[in-house]
Amino acid sequence: MLDSKSRRAKPAVDRKTRRRVLRGLGAAGAGAVVGAASRWSFAQGKAPINLSFWTFDNPQQRPWLAKRIKLYTDQNPNVKVDFQWFPFGDLGKKLSVGFATGTAPEGFVSQDWFMPVWLDKGLIAPMDVSRLGYSSMAAFTSDFAPAFVNGATKDGKAYGYPLWFYGYLNYLNTKDFKQVGLDPVKDAPKTWEQLGEVAKRLTVKDGGKFTRQGFKFAMHAPAWTMIQFNPILIGAGGSWFDASGKCTVNNAAGVKAMTVRASIARQYGAEDPADTIATPPLPQLDWFKERASMFFCHPIPPTLIQAQNPNMASVPYYSEVQYPGFQPGKGFSSTYGFNLVISAQASKDKQEVLHDMYRFVMSDPVDCWKDTAPFTMARKSGWVDNPAVKAFPHMEEFIIARDEGVFLPRTLVYNELADAMHRAVQKIMLNRADIKASLDEAAAEVDRATAAYKKG
Amino acid sequence: MNGVAAPARAKAGAAGLRRGSRGFGARYRIQLWGVGFILPTVLFFAVFKYGPMLWALELSFTSYDMVSAPHFVGLDNYRSLVADPIFRETLLNTLVYIGGSTVLITLVGLGLALAVSTRVPGARHCMTAMFLTNLMPIIAVCLVWRFLLHPHGLMTQLLHPFGVDRIDWLTKSTTAMPAIILVTVWRFAPYFMVVFLAGLLAIPDEYYEAARIDGATALQRFRYVTLPMLAPILFFVVVVAALLCARIFLMPYIITGGGPGNATRVLSMLIYETGFSYLKMGRAAAISAVLFAIMMVFTFLQMRIYMRREEAYLR
Repeated sequence: MLDSKSRRAKPAVDRKTRRRVLRGLGAAGAGAVVGAASRWSFAQGKAPINLSFWTFDNPQQRPWLAKRIKLYTDQNPNVKVDFQWFPFGDLGKKLSVGFATGTAPEGFVSQDWFMPVWLDKGLIAPMDVSRLGYSSMAAFTSDFAPAFVNGATKDGKAYGYPLWFYGYLNYLNTKDFKQVGLDPVKDAPKTWEQLGEVAKRLTVKDGGKFTRQGFKFAMHAPAWTMIQFNPILIGAGGSWFDASGKCTVNNAAGVKAMTVRASIARQYGAEDPADTIATPPLPQLDWFKERASMFFCHPIPPTLIQAQNPNMASVPYYSEVQYPGFQPGKGFSSTYGFNLVISAQASKDKQEVLHDMYRFVMSDPVDCWKDTAPFTMARKSGWVDNPAVKAFPHMEEFIIARDEGVFLPRTLVYNELADAMHRAVQKIMLNRADIKASLDEAAAEVDRATAAYKKG
Repeated sequence: MNGVAAPARAKAGAAGLRRGSRGFGARYRIQLWGVGFILPTVLFFAVFKYGPMLWALELSFTSYDMVSAPHFVGLDNYRSLVADPIFRETLLNTLVYIGGSTVLITLVGLGLALAVSTRVPGARHCMTAMFLTNLMPIIAVCLVWRFLLHPHGLMTQLLHPFGVDRIDWLTKSTTAMPAIILVTVWRFAPYFMVVFLAGLLAIPDEYYEAARIDGATALQRFRYVTLPMLAPILFFVVVVAALLCARIFLMPYIITGGGPGNATRVLSMLIYETGFSYLKMGRAAAISAVLFAIMMVFTFLQMRIYMRREEAYLR
């Protein structure tokens, strides 16, 4: 037992007196109050901002965007975001109606091919690239593929912050290749003739019924008709419009391209255009279910293949190669992408917050890649050299497809063009209509739409 | 006596007048209440039905992209429609669809009602089963029929024993529209069967008994008793089925997307595409006005035919 002297002799720091405990508790309490108060005053210091933000649905891309926006709002409690998403094909229509009725969101993701319409009608606001973290407009444009960023700029101003941007690839079922004695690497088709020949060998028929189609062109939606026909047309030396804006899809190059498009079914008998189980949400379904050995598609996340065909994903017995071309090794695909944009109808303070939010969303491109691979991003910096990205199987193919692909036509009558081409392809492929006559009809339809747009 | 009676009559007359004015006031109040009760409905229709209809008609004379303000273009939208082969083809598709579906819905609906009304055992259960087609969500119906009408789907399999190897129901321009009509009839005929059945049950048995006594055959009884007695119902079914078909959208939109080519595109689809996909709301409104005119003309013709029949019957 210690006496009073010895107690006093104990160093003061070690002594736990009631007064010290109370003082400590008081200090801790005061600290907590001050801390809370400072957070409160920070939150109160900024005016509350309510934003609406729309995007398209996709099992990887939409959740990643939602995650990043939530992180941003967690860090900025004064900002509330009403995050909504719509089916891929409906987003443009929803936005049009939104602008018409004054209910358009302040921020949204715009598909690349809608940019000309938004820009022409003055519906989206120019962006301050310095607020997005770029020192100058030159620094901004040099961080993206020139062709893509061109679609998002007008009169030296940026109107879109490029997000994803990717090219299409030819997806092969390598098991099918091996089954018919083909090498998926060496025999991967490099020309359109080779595509027909290889597809023919891969085709399996039971009487008049296809058990397996060698190759499959998508027939389910105008958007896919455009994406799949675009590189064939450009590769054949054609173009969608001439300098005066007249639709030229029905010229000799257009007919040549459509003849190639039709040859897989007509000449090689390797596909049945009427026989498909593809649906708008899953255009690749025939390929997933091994009813088609080859299919042109955007980068497909492994998780999606795993969900649809676990065997194919786990072995794996698929690979991605570049499109065939009119000359070996000169094939290229369609590319398209997405921009984060700001409505011109949004107030100035909301526009500023959206700049900050977009900068935050795009501040971790590696996180974006990890959540949405293999959808490549539009920006060049900050992710391609990351080991996680480099380790992704066939990464170089995705990058080549992105960098060498050709854009979908940027026109003010894109929807009319897509619908006209879809009708033409259906007539040619399903009803064996004459190619030239069908393309003439499509071109006339597009010219009428262009004239109507110009008339206003 | 007369001197006494005259003031009394005058007094009674004045009281009657007072009563009358009170009665008039009460009637007026009752009428006001009536107006008050129907006013919400009238307002609802004015604001949400006739107002938008009139606005759509006004829009059809403008160019409107849903972004900038509409501007007057006169009859330009109507002129461009006449010159547009897609519109002409779509209009023809719509007329074929309305005609084909209405005739078949009426015939099949009447046939089913006659079959059910024969009181064959199990007929009522069959009726319930058939009516279930109306309770299914239309989206599900369309998706199921897409698979049934696949080139190697159930419909083709059913025809296989008859030597039919394959029919491209939805991808050939010659079969796509009949296939859509088939689905429409499958969906709506049982609904109108119930309407016909109600009409059949309302025909007094005495008429049939009298016809039998007169030696009328079953066909004659149908021709001279059932059909005349069902005329109002028949008129109702034809008009309602035609109006229903004129507005059809989801079936061709989901099952064929209007294809192949333009083979199954109907006016309501074209209105949707023109308005919301091409942002030409003025032109879309003009197409709506054309569709509305078709429906009005059709209804008017039906009414004329019905009235003439009624007059002839009464004579």
